[in-house]
Amino acid sequence: MKQLLKISLLTLASLSFNAFASGSGDILPNDEMPYYSGDRLTVSMQKGMQIYMNNCMGCHSLQFQRYNRSAKDLDISEDLMINNLMFTGEKIGDLMTNNMPAAAAEKWFGTAPPDLSLIARSRDPHWLYNYLRGFYADDNRPYGVNNTVFKDVGMPHALGALQGVQDKTEQVKGLENDIDYAHGDIASAREKLNKGGNSRELDKIIADAERLIHEKEIQLVELSTKGEYFTLITEGELSAAEFDLAMADLVNFLEYIGEPIKRERKDMGLWVLMFIAFFTVVAYFLKKEYWKDVH
Amino acid sequence: MGLMAQFMVWFDDRFPATKVWNEHLAQYYAPKNFNFWYFFGSLAMLVLVNQILTGIWLTMNYTPTAEGAFASIEFIRRDVQWGHLLLGMHATGASAFFVVVYLHMFRGLLYGSFRKPRELVWIFGMIIFVLLMAEGFMGYLLPWGNMSYWGAQVIINLFSAVPVVGEDLAVWIRGDFIISGATLNRFFALHVVALPMALLLMVFLHIVALHKVGSNNPDGIDIKKLKDEKGIPLDGIPFHPYYTVKDIVGVGVFLFIFCMIIFYNPQMGGYFLEAPNFTPADPLKTPEHIAPVWYFTPYYSILKAVPNQGLGVIAMAASLVILFFLPWLDRSPVLSIRYKSSIYKWALMIFVACFFILGYLGMKAPNEMRTLVARICTVYYFAFFIGMPWWSQWGTTKPVPTRVTH
Repeated sequence: MKQLLKISLLTLASLSFNAFASGSGDILPNDEMPYYSGDRLTVSMQKGMQIYMNNCMGCHSLQFQRYNRSAKDLDISEDLMINNLMFTGEKIGDLMTNNMPAAAAEKWFGTAPPDLSLIARSRDPHWLYNYLRGFYADDNRPYGVNNTVFKDVGMPHALGALQGVQDKTEQVKGLENDIDYAHGDIASAREKLNKGGNSRELDKIIADAERLIHEKEIQLVELSTKGEYFTLITEGELSAAEFDLAMADLVNFLEYIGEPIKRERKDMGLWVLMFIAFFTVVAYFLKKEYWKDVH
Repeated sequence: MGLMAQFMVWFDDRFPATKVWNEHLAQYYAPKNFNFWYFFGSLAMLVLVNQILTGIWLTMNYTPTAEGAFASIEFIRRDVQWGHLLLGMHATGASAFFVVVYLHMFRGLLYGSFRKPRELVWIFGMIIFVLLMAEGFMGYLLPWGNMSYWGAQVIINLFSAVPVVGEDLAVWIRGDFIISGATLNRFFALHVVALPMALLLMVFLHIVALHKVGSNNPDGIDIKKLKDEKGIPLDGIPFHPYYTVKDIVGVGVFLFIFCMIIFYNPQMGGYFLEAPNFTPADPLKTPEHIAPVWYFTPYYSILKAVPNQGLGVIAMAASLVILFFLPWLDRSPVLSIRYKSSIYKWALMIFVACFFILGYLGMKAPNEMRTLVARICTVYYFAFFIGMPWWSQWGTTKPVPTRVTH
């Protein structure tokens, strides 16, 4: 019986481990965002809001959030908000919508720019941080840029003025070429296999190509962690390091917008748990007292 | 006689208040050897009350239309006083409900609580479980997120696999040719009115049936066989105050874990709240990978494990229906796992492992290996129940004591 309990608990534990081990995925670059807490986080969110209102709000509304809620939670005075972050005469209690005509926007970008109130919840902050830093020059795209995290995204490089324009480094391009060729080898080998070619030889080609792809992908990750994935071809207003910090601010703001209560609920949770712990201890001793006479 | 006592006499002359109190609490004798597994019945009641209360308050601000549903959830989260907590308690409560109910049912499997004379207790409980699944399924559509939409789409489409009437049946359930506002409206009505009423009725019957025959215990012994001169079972103690104070300790521990999730990890890594559900329902955009919420995944795995969809639906339904027959499948001479043969212990352990594996596979996109494993587990799932009348009699059981071990 004890054994049974132990085994079921172990299974449960391994299952819940799986539940927590989600996140990141295989995106490149795959850089960690700087972590802030307390006042430093508030300041970061404020700066993020400033970037958002000046660069993003024109296309991407935050339709479920109200201006005054943001002001209150981010420690921005309402006057400051009205004078510096609200541009089209809304009232402080209004929802943060914009005047982007959806139908026209769909024509301009292929798809209407989505509302971003919940983007940090449907995509995680880590993804957003790398996506925002993943734009690179690509002449085949209508706006001249593509994105490594979100391939063929319809969005132009809205923050190009801040970041400048970057391109993949020669090393990255070389590795990607190798991977493309390897995929080509696999495809042609598979085709020959289907037509009844020498299976031993072709299987070896496929296995070799797969190994090569795996190796090259590891090298790509290494380049990304060394910060040698992109190189700037046009300078922007910010240095690379400054831009990274700015994007962390922007993502922190979006994470706040995704769930405004997030920070407060964690503080609240501590009190709730402390009360429940106290309650449980009292209940336990009450039980012990009552059960004294059960033999 | 004091004023209060006088009032109680007046009241009891007109309503059996004291009688009911005594019969079901103060003089309801429960075995004194209840262990860890016996907390989950009262916890299920607690979660039911939580779901009903938070549900009522959520309904006050929810808009059951395709145009307004998604925004109204965010309105509750952001603009309604304590709305985020109501949402958190209700959403986490849904998962918690299934956790405690699964553990409660497993307790039944461990100690043979479904065996004679408790067959009706088990069947009423199974009806509660099926109602709960319907309640969870319909509730999941209400936030009108993209996973709500496509999850419901996949499940309702299953009905179109029914021969002849399938397509019409699916349209009848949806109230439309696709999932739409009409579907949302009827699911809302069923979720907040019809199913909760049915649930409450069945919970009432579950407890009435239980109190008629008395609770089983970890030894599987009938405590009513040995009574003292007053007719009180020797191994019985009044439910109140002994088990009320004990259950409160369980409530404390449960609430601690429950609140830890609500306040620190409400999404549970995407298993309680799924990321695609933070984008509004979009009939044109399928999420990358559609999986039902975790509590449905074992059955969903069984469905996918069968190569033919029609048969898969039947297998999925059968995996639930077969549970109803459990009281007549187990033919072991003893009730409790404590005295059962080691064959039984192993069979049950493997069953639990299969159930977890099926649950895990149901969340993952299928591949060859996963499908194979799911098939093996599915075969075991059914073999466990279908073969039970035979294998439950194999092996040697241990002698059952006359008094409970405490």
